Amino acid sequence: MTRSLARAPVEEHRNPFGAAGPDSEAKRTPTIADVIGHCRWIALDINAAAFSLFVVGPAGERNGLVPLLDPDHPSDSSATIRMWDDISEEIVRHARTSALPLWWAADGSASADAFLQLPMAKRLNGPSPAGIAFPVSADRGRCGLVAFLGSEIALSDDQCLDVHARCYSLFGAAMRIRPDKSRKAPAVSKRELECLKLSANGMTSEQIAASLKLSVHTANQYLTNSTQKLNAANRTHAVAKALKLGLFE
Amino acid sequence: MTGLGYQTAFPAASGKPLASRGDLTAFLMALCQRIGADSYMLVAVLHDQHRSDVRIVASNWVYDAIQVIGHRTIAAIAESSLAAPPGTRPQAVVPSRAMGIARVLDGEQCRMLDVLGHGEIFPLRLNVGRQQLYLLFSTEEADRLDPAELTRAQMRCCHALSQVPDLLAATTQHDPLSDRERECLHWVSEGKTTDEVAVILGVSSNTVNGYVTHAIQKFAATNRVMAVATAIRSGII
Repeated sequence: MTRSLARAPVEEHRNPFGAAGPDSEAKRTPTIADVIGHCRWIALDINAAAFSLFVVGPAGERNGLVPLLDPDHPSDSSATIRMWDDISEEIVRHARTSALPLWWAADGSASADAFLQLPMAKRLNGPSPAGIAFPVSADRGRCGLVAFLGSEIALSDDQCLDVHARCYSLFGAAMRIRPDKSRKAPAVSKRELECLKLSANGMTSEQIAASLKLSVHTANQYLTNSTQKLNAANRTHAVAKALKLGLFE
Repeated sequence: MTGLGYQTAFPAASGKPLASRGDLTAFLMALCQRIGADSYMLVAVLHDQHRSDVRIVASNWVYDAIQVIGHRTIAAIAESSLAAPPGTRPQAVVPSRAMGIARVLDGEQCRMLDVLGHGEIFPLRLNVGRQQLYLLFSTEEADRLDPAELTRAQMRCCHALSQVPDLLAATTQHDPLSDRERECLHWVSEGKTTDEVAVILGVSSNTVNGYVTHAIQKFAATNRVMAVATAIRSGII
């Protein structure tokens, strides 16, 4: 359906990753520069001086938030490092379980005045400079935080919702960034994907062969090929990689 | 930045924070009025071994409409690419024109939905931390809702759900694994063998196999591959 779009956050230049809708979104492969550029736009819109994007490491491995990018990419800005040092267990848990924005600011600053007007944002006891962090998440349980820092941030309730929505779409885009080498990897064939999917559903090689009317040897060959193409160590690794890449659901 | 000082309340409009399912229903009703929608349905999609099913958390749809399209079809709509993730432009489903849903709804279902007051439906995805829910807003006639307001309503709903974490956890599939089991499964998903995981975690191979076996049992999976796939599909690892 084509429909004239009203205002932000669905405007193209305000929200380049989300404006086209969920269908076309998946087709676009964003670059790091796109994501940084879009963060700059948001920072400009709310009068923030800096931004940092954090991603929650997989549970069980590194439980914390890891810096993903900021204006100084590929290194980390001093603001990011200072904020990273201050991130507590509680904030990591918040990023995993809640969508409520978090803010910190010294009383009396311009930012604090703006943040106090936001009905659903939660206040932290934070150091200066002031900032606001939006919890974001994408497919397959990946979570993160998009933080904007500055002592003169201006943000109304509606703007806060719009900016948060834009943060979600830019995080989704950031999670779709693929290293160049994966683009050159040979494509996994349709038949190989079928085998992988059945394997993910708990079937043995014999069961896969029977359900696809193949010989057991052929089914195993398909699985071995896909394992090699995905640069995986074994079958479980191949299934995990394929799922994480979104090759099948 | 230590200690979360939770100081403020939601929703501002009603002046009190959400605490119960009743509050959530009232909040969703108020949200509908705010954006001009006629009905809402908040659902969680649950996966068992081979199929998706849906759990309705809150809804003001007439019972007939739910029965006409059935739980599995609601799950199919929610999980199709039609459901807009937060921050993407909401997409309209118009049953009378069978638009975008020809694959999930048959002609009779489309006609009934239209008759029952769902002339246009917007399926929205809600992401709250690792949890994922779906919200459907409908109106009797098409072209009534403003996409920018829909996106804001979607965000408001994400915020509101964050205030009822217990309800949220009880609704969506919870994570049945212990930390150690999750850790083992994570390394197995990275292609490590039992012996390698044992070295990484500093425990014996038998212990690792025990953790993995428990994880397999908890997911009612048939083998490791399936346990890993289930954990990834539900966002646990």
